[in-house]
Amino acid sequence: MKKLKLIALFFLGLLASCNAIKTAVYDQYSYQQTTSLKVDVSKIVDKSTEQYSKNALEVQKIALEMEKMMEYEKNKPNNEITFAMWQLINNKEKNSVAGFFKRWEEKGNFSPIFLEESKKQLLEGFDLLIQYEVRKDQQSKDNLLTLINK
Amino acid sequence: MDIEKLLQALKDNLLSLLGEKLKDFKPQLEKEINQYINQSREKLERWALLLATGSITNDELEWLLKSQQDLVILKTFQIAGLSKIKLNNLKNSVIQTIFKTIILAI
Repeated sequence: MKKLKLIALFFLGLLASCNAIKTAVYDQYSYQQTTSLKVDVSKIVDKSTEQYSKNALEVQKIALEMEKMMEYEKNKPNNEITFAMWQLINNKEKNSVAGFFKRWEEKGNFSPIFLEESKKQLLEGFDLLIQYEVRKDQQSKDNLLTLINK
Repeated sequence: MDIEKLLQALKDNLLSLLGEKLKDFKPQLEKEINQYINQSREKLERWALLLATGSITNDELEWLLKSQQDLVILKTFQIAGLSKIKLNNLKNSVIQTIFKTIILAI
């Protein structure tokens, strides 16, 4: 019987230490910063019918904040998914926010229709990140309720 | 512009990405991803119309199509993350059950 308990405890420890399925917990700072950056991006994209040079400083400021956010997410444990999402959004060679800024700089400005269509795409990317963080919050609440109800 | 061909290309690219990076989650992800890709149809049709009326250029259409492909990748990451959360829940339930069983047996 004692041997059986030891085996059960061993597997319990093994299961608890399984890193492959661990996920970072909900982070209020991540949620706030991501929603704030979404608004900043939305505002600056609205100006992309104007010349890039006129808005370059503001664009660079937002790009810097996005890079800081990516670095923050990179260093959180078990946070590979959120980090991978930020990497894509921040990649100038991809067609998300950093790629949009790069194209704006190259083209000078955009037509109102291209602005409208691309803005929807960029903001949808932020929504996916925000929704994911919110689901982590739901998870934290569920875990807390389970603990209370034990 | 052949919308069906584009949607298929989007699916193929994504499934090959899944094969490389997220093979552990592939079966459960496929259904949700297909659903999301099908939602892209409306956008592709709108962009095709904008191109036909000269409202956007070929180059702009190409940029938008690639942005949709990137959105699908983001969605894939999100679904994979949510699957991990579900698996973690299951793991916690299993741990609790084993723990209770051991405590009762002592």
